[in-house]
Amino acid sequence: MLVAGIDVGSTTTKAVLLDGRAIVGEHAMPTGVDLALAAEQCLHAACSAARAAPEELEALVATGYGRDRVTRATAKVTEITCHARGARALVPWARVVVDVGGQDSKVIRLDDDGMVADFVMNDKCAAGTGRFLEVMAARLGIALDEFGPRWRRAKEAARISSTCTVFAESEVISLLSHGVRPEPIVKGLCDAVAARLAGMVHRVGLGGGLVMTGGVSRNEGVRRSLEERLQATVTVPDGSQFAGAYGAALIALHLSDGRGGEKGKPDAP
Amino acid sequence: MVGPPASGRARNGAAGGFRDARGGARARGAARRRVPQQPRRGFLRPETLLRNKWAYRAASAALPLLRARGAKDYQIAAIECMLSDFADAYLGRKPCVFTSAFVPTELVYGLGGVPFLPEAASGLAAAFGLGAASLSACEALWYSPDLCSFHRAGVGGAAAGFLPRPSAVVVTAHLCDGGKKSLAHLSALAGCPFYIIDVPFASSDRGERWVASQVEFVAEDLARRVPGLSVDGLPRALVASNEALTEYREVCALRRNVPAPWRGSEALNYVLLFLWSWGSPLLAPFYRALRTHLARTIDTQGFPVQSERHRLLWLNLRPYYRTKLFEHLERDRASSVAFEEYSFAYWPAMDPRDPFVSLARKMTSNFGWGPIERRLEVIEKLVDEYSIDGVVQFAQWGCRQSNGGAAIIGSELRKKGVPFLNLDGDGVDDGSGIEAQSITRLGAFIELLDARKVGER
Repeated sequence: MLVAGIDVGSTTTKAVLLDGRAIVGEHAMPTGVDLALAAEQCLHAACSAARAAPEELEALVATGYGRDRVTRATAKVTEITCHARGARALVPWARVVVDVGGQDSKVIRLDDDGMVADFVMNDKCAAGTGRFLEVMAARLGIALDEFGPRWRRAKEAARISSTCTVFAESEVISLLSHGVRPEPIVKGLCDAVAARLAGMVHRVGLGGGLVMTGGVSRNEGVRRSLEERLQATVTVPDGSQFAGAYGAALIALHLSDGRGGEKGKPDAP
Repeated sequence: MVGPPASGRARNGAAGGFRDARGGARARGAARRRVPQQPRRGFLRPETLLRNKWAYRAASAALPLLRARGAKDYQIAAIECMLSDFADAYLGRKPCVFTSAFVPTELVYGLGGVPFLPEAASGLAAAFGLGAASLSACEALWYSPDLCSFHRAGVGGAAAGFLPRPSAVVVTAHLCDGGKKSLAHLSALAGCPFYIIDVPFASSDRGERWVASQVEFVAEDLARRVPGLSVDGLPRALVASNEALTEYREVCALRRNVPAPWRGSEALNYVLLFLWSWGSPLLAPFYRALRTHLARTIDTQGFPVQSERHRLLWLNLRPYYRTKLFEHLERDRASSVAFEEYSFAYWPAMDPRDPFVSLARKMTSNFGWGPIERRLEVIEKLVDEYSIDGVVQFAQWGCRQSNGGAAIIGSELRKKGVPFLNLDGDGVDDGSGIEAQSITRLGAFIELLDARKVGER
């Protein structure tokens, strides 16, 4: 039984194909400006990996901010539910999920059964999101992949007082103009993001397994800053950036089992 | 503190943005020059239309047409109610008294005036696409965007000429701090008396007497200073208020029905009327028509949200500009706002023989004022009475009185097993948030309720 989940995020579109509970295909690509096209291409690529066609899918659940553009979706579910479901499947002891995507970040508390018990999202600006880090990396002239090594090399963190992307960029420019090396700036930026995330974690309640998903979960600097701030271990599972799509695929599996909701309506995972 | 500030007394006639009933600008140049130009011209400019008696006659004449096109009796009754007040205020037929949202409007109707609530008018302005122009006009007056947009749009609406000219301004000191200060500014701009009624934080008989004495002073002083006002009509306004309250309690009883007989998104629109019209003789006919409509809806099973899955209690106001938020909730998620915090009639019936104490009691019994337990108690009561599955707090930007208690309310509700969502947003400023994010938050909350229901099964 082939089912799929697709997560059309602001920066990246991800698709995961399941045959039963086994992952048989996955793909990630930049979302670009045409969300429907990105979703279609990503789905085709994931299906190709499994030597299948999208028409063979028994259920497809779309999530992410572009979920409404996925016309062939069986159901559309918010990324909060999907990330919770995906993270729990990837890390069975997960109780708090920190998902940091391109344009928003969210912290989800799970109950004993892995259901969403509570959640909080960042406010309307880009602070604490992947976009924030992208802008800063561009200003520093370094790749996002370098954040981890530079964070490790930093002896101290530069103070980035603003979490507004535009103002923080001004601060970075000011620090560079004062001859501050990129390493402490990188650490300061990671600390600034972690400070916001930690506040959100405390709102839903820190306790139990802490898991990070979404594109920014691969940023070692942010993860380590968050661990320092929370004094807790942050687990980043393999395929963490696919957690939303994986959760969507698991919900699709649930739907195709005949235990799900009606077509086009969100399912209770 | 009661009484007009010196600035209010001193300035007669010269006012920024306020126009007389004939539409003549009486603005001081500096304030007027800062107001952005409106896109509409001539007769169609809202500030001109609102002051044109023919516009009101045309609107009244169009009501049968609206009815023929499917408008319900209660909707017509609500329009009649608002048209009557707007005509009185903008055409200068009665002295117009600006009030803050929690002043009992029976006071103004009873004095023979017409109340005008700039905060509620801000919601209307947003609904008619004038929110951005009002906010922009307010910004030109150096107001901080940190102030609640309902107040900013009120001040800006006055500066842009959208509001009528007040004969006096009456505010209460409870709940909303920005309201009394922005309205004090409007009184200074209009050069009219300003009154502030102090409502003690703690509820007591002594406090009630203190408020009653202030109400009496305000009423008598207004009657003395504003031509056309008299205290003689106060008992009549209280009788009208009681009559409307009786009808309204029936409406509330019908709204307890599962599924909800009234679309919550529409009910939230009528919160503005709920704040505005107590004491108007036209309010009871509106609630009577609404009661009839809801009873018929229940009889015919013609519920607006068929197969209702979840029932929400909505705290604070809603976005009044065009938004897909409620379409998503009601159509895509089959969930209803079953009741609203601001639709709760918290006061007892009034005694027309004792109007000042009755009006004072209405103010002191406001559950949003006083210790947070008071508000929480009402919310929990509404959760029970309206079979609520989850509570949504619309966290209006800059609304301290409501948002300040959100964390405690959320925590207490969760302890009792009632899911709670703090939904950041803005009721007037459509540029201050991202609709897709709000939809995702609300959608995720509904999914959380879905999961709970599955778990219960």
